[in-house]
Amino acid sequence: MEDIKNTLRAFIIDKFEIGDDPDFADDVHLFNEGFVDSFGAVEIIHFVEEHYGIKITQRDITLYPMNTVDEISEVVYEKIS
Amino acid sequence: MVHLNSAVRMLDIAAERYGEKTAVEDEWSKISFKELKNKGMAVGTALAVTSPDGYMSAPVIVYLKKSISCLVCFMGAMYSANPYVPVAYDMPANRIQKIVDSLEGRGHIITDEAGTETLRTMNIPETFSVHIYDEILKTITDEALLNRTLGSVIDTDPIYIMFTSGSTGAPKGVTVPHRGVVDYAMWVAKTFGIDENSVLGNQAPFYFDNSIFDIYSCLLTGAKMIIIPETLFMFPLKLPEFVRDNHITTIFWVPTVMINVANSGALEEIKLPELENVAFCGEVMPNTQLNIWRKAQPHCLYANLYGPTEISDVCTYYIVDREFKDSDPLPIGKACENMRIVILNEKNEIAKPKEQGELCVIGTGVSLGYWNNKEITDKVFMQNPVNPFYEERLYRTGDLAYIDDEGLIIYLGRMDNQIKVKGNRIELGEIENAAMCVNGVKGACAVFDAENQRIVMFIESETDFKLRKFNMELKRYIPSYMLPAVLKIMDKLPHTANDKIDRVRLKNSLKEEN
Repeated sequence: MEDIKNTLRAFIIDKFEIGDDPDFADDVHLFNEGFVDSFGAVEIIHFVEEHYGIKITQRDITLYPMNTVDEISEVVYEKIS
Repeated sequence: MVHLNSAVRMLDIAAERYGEKTAVEDEWSKISFKELKNKGMAVGTALAVTSPDGYMSAPVIVYLKKSISCLVCFMGAMYSANPYVPVAYDMPANRIQKIVDSLEGRGHIITDEAGTETLRTMNIPETFSVHIYDEILKTITDEALLNRTLGSVIDTDPIYIMFTSGSTGAPKGVTVPHRGVVDYAMWVAKTFGIDENSVLGNQAPFYFDNSIFDIYSCLLTGAKMIIIPETLFMFPLKLPEFVRDNHITTIFWVPTVMINVANSGALEEIKLPELENVAFCGEVMPNTQLNIWRKAQPHCLYANLYGPTEISDVCTYYIVDREFKDSDPLPIGKACENMRIVILNEKNEIAKPKEQGELCVIGTGVSLGYWNNKEITDKVFMQNPVNPFYEERLYRTGDLAYIDDEGLIIYLGRMDNQIKVKGNRIELGEIENAAMCVNGVKGACAVFDAENQRIVMFIESETDFKLRKFNMELKRYIPSYMLPAVLKIMDKLPHTANDKIDRVRLKNSLKEEN
């Protein structure tokens, strides 16, 4: 689980040029707090699908919240274990 | 025989004819036509008994998360003979306040527990009634009362008020009559062959007039409406899967979504044999992406619709009936039945074929103007200048268009600073107004970078704002879809000779960067 979080966090910080913003954390709402725009959501899902060889379906998206590093990692963890 | 004096009469008929059949489904639940009517009447009773006395109706602000409950409230408002005002659940309190203020003390707000928290930070007049949705749902229906209220409605009364971006910073309340919606629902059903076996996949938010297509064609015909979960639109790749799994037959989506789905590659993977109608409206649909749809799903009927909020949704349409090159513009076609389009040139005369002019609309679908604002209403709603003989009301859209050799209308663009981002209609002035409310901003100019389809914000300030922090400030005044994608801080904004901010120069500076 920690591995997933570390990988995901590193990807988001790099991709969305977050740098060392002190407001950024694993439980912060990525979209409401403006770290990632709506197009970025696709890139994050694409990244985890490719990186972990999993498929996030339309049902996953509607059933589970995926707004924070914690929440996305949770879904990925469920899929690979 | 039922007289359609109110659009809610369509629900009365559907409840009788289709009773237990599912009317609407969202990600949490579903509701039959009969239940929708019964719940609508309970809400309607609660609204009717708390409406202020007097001649005029009291608008009902529906401030709830997008779901079946919003529709129950819309029906309730109609049963109580009041227009409804759909408001985005994530709308900033400051903007809701402006809407409340423009209603001048007459009105209702229906919300949930969380919504009341936001309302507490606002200044709601004593004369406003605030209702909690779960509570008023328990109201015992007073049928005699509702017969009286509904019986008092005439079809030129307002059914809804939709607030759209205003250039001075205050949103404008477009006020639409019942008859425009009823007339439009009939046109939609006929043109797209909607019947009780149809399933509509709703994308449009309820505060966006595109939703009128979905809601009222279903009420008229007994079709099912599925409210597609909002989160799915962040993942266009997954949308065709949803359309297929839910047996959706008709979609009416904003081009941004159509484009994102086409670009995702999902259409080549997933076949949608049950999908019959693909209609779109709200902004320009490029043929590049439409061709991807047409190639992947060739059995569908494709339709390009056009209409500003000031019309009950749509006034022209084009059924795509021939091949288009990627670079061709897609016509917006011809006037819908019972609507008339005139294109007026600068001399206020009918433009000749191929001559550019302002697209103007006449007909039942033309709205009543802006709520409580005669001044701005009179600027754009007026007597048809080419008809001196009798009253013929016309709406000037501010859109430039011409008629091509085949007699089809071609849309060219805006005459003012209004823009469309992801289908949302935005006045740059409203964003600038919000920016001026941020501490440390001395000047602001918002520019639309058309090439990259994004808003660029130029501000004059000594503070070194970061985009994210700045947008968090802006979000207190304007919805998220209006937020700039780029922030540029200048010591001094350039000015023209007559001391206005030099918009053209700022816009040109973007072209140089691109």
